[in-house]
Amino acid sequence: MIEKKQQIFNKLGLHARAAAKLSHLANMFSADIYLIYNEDKVNAKSLLGILTLAASVGNEIMLQAAGADEQEAIRAIGDLFDRKFDEEI
Amino acid sequence: MAKDVKGIQLTRVRELNQLKITRAFNEKWLPNLVRHPRPQRPGLGLTGYLKHIQDGRIQIFGKTEAGYLSNLKEEEMGRCLKNYFSLRLPGVIVAENIEPAGEWIAMAARYATPILVSELHTAPLISRLSAYLYQYFSKKIKLNGVLMDVMGQGVLITGASGIGKSETALELVNKGYQLIADDVAEFYIDSNDDLVGRANEAIKNLMEVRGLGILNINDIFGASAVLEEKKLNLVINLEKWDAKKKYDRLGEDNQCFKILGLEVPLINLPVGPGRNLSTIIEVALRNFLAKKSGRLTYLEACQAASTLPPGNREGAGGETT
Repeated sequence: MIEKKQQIFNKLGLHARAAAKLSHLANMFSADIYLIYNEDKVNAKSLLGILTLAASVGNEIMLQAAGADEQEAIRAIGDLFDRKFDEEI
Repeated sequence: MAKDVKGIQLTRVRELNQLKITRAFNEKWLPNLVRHPRPQRPGLGLTGYLKHIQDGRIQIFGKTEAGYLSNLKEEEMGRCLKNYFSLRLPGVIVAENIEPAGEWIAMAARYATPILVSELHTAPLISRLSAYLYQYFSKKIKLNGVLMDVMGQGVLITGASGIGKSETALELVNKGYQLIADDVAEFYIDSNDDLVGRANEAIKNLMEVRGLGILNINDIFGASAVLEEKKLNLVINLEKWDAKKKYDRLGEDNQCFKILGLEVPLINLPVGPGRNLSTIIEVALRNFLAKKSGRLTYLEACQAASTLPPGNREGAGGETT
């Protein structure tokens, strides 16, 4: 299992569209992937789960992955956060 | 992941509509924290027996307290109130719209204690307040799955991502059953030691169905298709059909799902072609209800029949159908 701290850079935070992109990406990996924020842990493959976090810009969340492709999963998801979910220039 | 809560401000308590709070005194101290789920009536505490008046518990005054205090001589009342309020209680709610006497308010103010007044009688006030506080203070846990009301029973449908939980739930909603929460349900233990689940505010009434997006079930199916919260009675876990795994063929497995120290019956349902899950779940519920009401399972009936003398065996299983 690996973990990575990740900051949220996009203005709107983990709103519906960003959550959809995130869960879509997470579903491409076989590893179990979780987001941890404010003591809440949700499955990154679940869109509605991500929405319950209500995490916004500037917040720091923890990414957690366990499984065969955990490295790739964390890298790809971290990259999506860093790219601000491709929402802003 | 379980969470503990430290306290709730009286400001929040005052805003609860169900408590019918009409006015507040010593409002400066409304941010005081209630740190205990059970409200307390002072009773003998006012006579000077303060041993069981607990720190952090919200206090309820009814006719008894008000009547006792008003019957005391001024000097005596002052001493009682001083002893009582010097415990620095988080706050007092006076029931039945009784007007707090000036002496109470003054002494409470000396010890930073706010006083609220409610229209309700003490019994409903205490039960509504403790129901709210129990939910607020209880350990909470989030579980992945869809929480539904099927035949009056709270059913949590769990299983790996993409196995078809939401689709199964949608079929059940379409059949007239109610959705409580899709994807993530939040559970707490209420004052009856029951496990109660509800949806996070952010996703209340919502369901995600791949290909259709996020649906608001309340808008599409109407208010009768959703429920605020429900006691959990049964967990149904959907799993990929595995030819090597031994599934329950006789209905003799009694598995349990453990959560927050409680045990909930669990059924593992393999998902495979030609298996209509919503119907299987409905039948599982009928079977669950039949067992709950004391009907024998097929196996139990066979066992019961084999202990009877041969002449009486015929029809012994008849009552179980």
